[in-house]
Amino acid sequence: MKKQLRSVVYMFLISLFFASLVSAVMYFNEKKIASNQALKLQRIILKVLDIAAEKNTSNGQISRWYTERVKDIRVGDRILYIGYEEDGHTILGYAFPVGGPGFWGPIQGIVGVNPDATKVLGIAFYKHTETPGLGGRITEDWFSGQFNGLRLFPIEGDQKIFYLKPAGTTGAPNELDAITGATNTSSAVEAFLNDELDYFLKELWTAVEERE
Amino acid sequence: MPNLPSKKEIFLTGLWKDNPVLRQVLGICSTLAVTNLMVNTLVMDAGLIFTVCLSSLTVSLLRKYTPMRIRMMVQTLIIASYVIIVDILIKAHLPDISEALGPYVALIITNCIIMGRCEAFARNNPPLASFLDGLGMSLGYSLILIVIAFIREPLGFGTLMGIRVMPEGFVQWTIMIMAPGAFFTLGILAWITKYILPNVKNSEERM
Repeated sequence: MKKQLRSVVYMFLISLFFASLVSAVMYFNEKKIASNQALKLQRIILKVLDIAAEKNTSNGQISRWYTERVKDIRVGDRILYIGYEEDGHTILGYAFPVGGPGFWGPIQGIVGVNPDATKVLGIAFYKHTETPGLGGRITEDWFSGQFNGLRLFPIEGDQKIFYLKPAGTTGAPNELDAITGATNTSSAVEAFLNDELDYFLKELWTAVEERE
Repeated sequence: MPNLPSKKEIFLTGLWKDNPVLRQVLGICSTLAVTNLMVNTLVMDAGLIFTVCLSSLTVSLLRKYTPMRIRMMVQTLIIASYVIIVDILIKAHLPDISEALGPYVALIITNCIIMGRCEAFARNNPPLASFLDGLGMSLGYSLILIVIAFIREPLGFGTLMGIRVMPEGFVQWTIMIMAPGAFFTLGILAWITKYILPNVKNSEERM
């Protein structure tokens, strides 16, 4: 009995020590991590709005462009980013976060659309837990780049804005290549992204139009 | 503990004679995963060296106090703590690399080399020897990963550390970027080194 108690106390103390250690390291690095993440989001927003698509643009340049050319507004419980042309007042497009269940966990991304919301400017996924090298390839440019120029329309009935089909079997402009070897991730993206785009057009877009 | 091998021998055993990747075939998952880019490989190596050395050291320091029946729990806790620390530090200071390595940093926890060394060596040996054992083993792991990356990155991407090394017009071997490329490279490497490494009998005697 005494032995067991000793084990419990020992484990408790060790856990306490290491938990404090990890918390301390986190405490001192939290701000830096948060700013890295904010910067990453800014970079992605600029990318989907086609303001800065280059990967090697410096961090300073990114945050400068972001402050100069992007504004965010709240629409209901969603956030909408407005991108401006270099002159600072002509609207270049809108960007909004999208998200939904992937195969393993939630996927988050940003979609950029043109000023009258008829076409996709760019899409980027930035947070996911899909298998690296398979479903994880949704972050690669060849995949997200396919969405550029995709025509947007409110869904009626069981039609979809876009379809992901096995590579090589695609024909129509709204049929895009799925990721080989990641059928589940592909169908998950097809399902939630169609819903999210439709939601944007039907709910958010009306709010934006009324606002103007 | 009957006569402990010399410090130098402990270190060299892990580095070469009993190389964790080639000889013990441990840590293969991460070996396959990160070696398509040299930069990722180096960060993974640094993370592993840090974790193995400190885990072995800590387990060894606590070896006389840790109750036998909960020792694995304690080891897991220690290893996990160090790995989380590495993960936080990389996220804070090397965000691009954190992005590229993705879940692999957190998966250092499951690298068998770490717990293997804690169980097989650190829990029965003094701290300095354990630290050196960890250092040797993790450097041995790092060495092999660097060799594999040195083959895979130029062939797969035509670059090394992101700098172009292959002549213009070089056709990239896409398979080298993917896991099968690592399997082939690792297999061939294990095959070649089989003739260079001291034979198995010797290492069994020492165990």
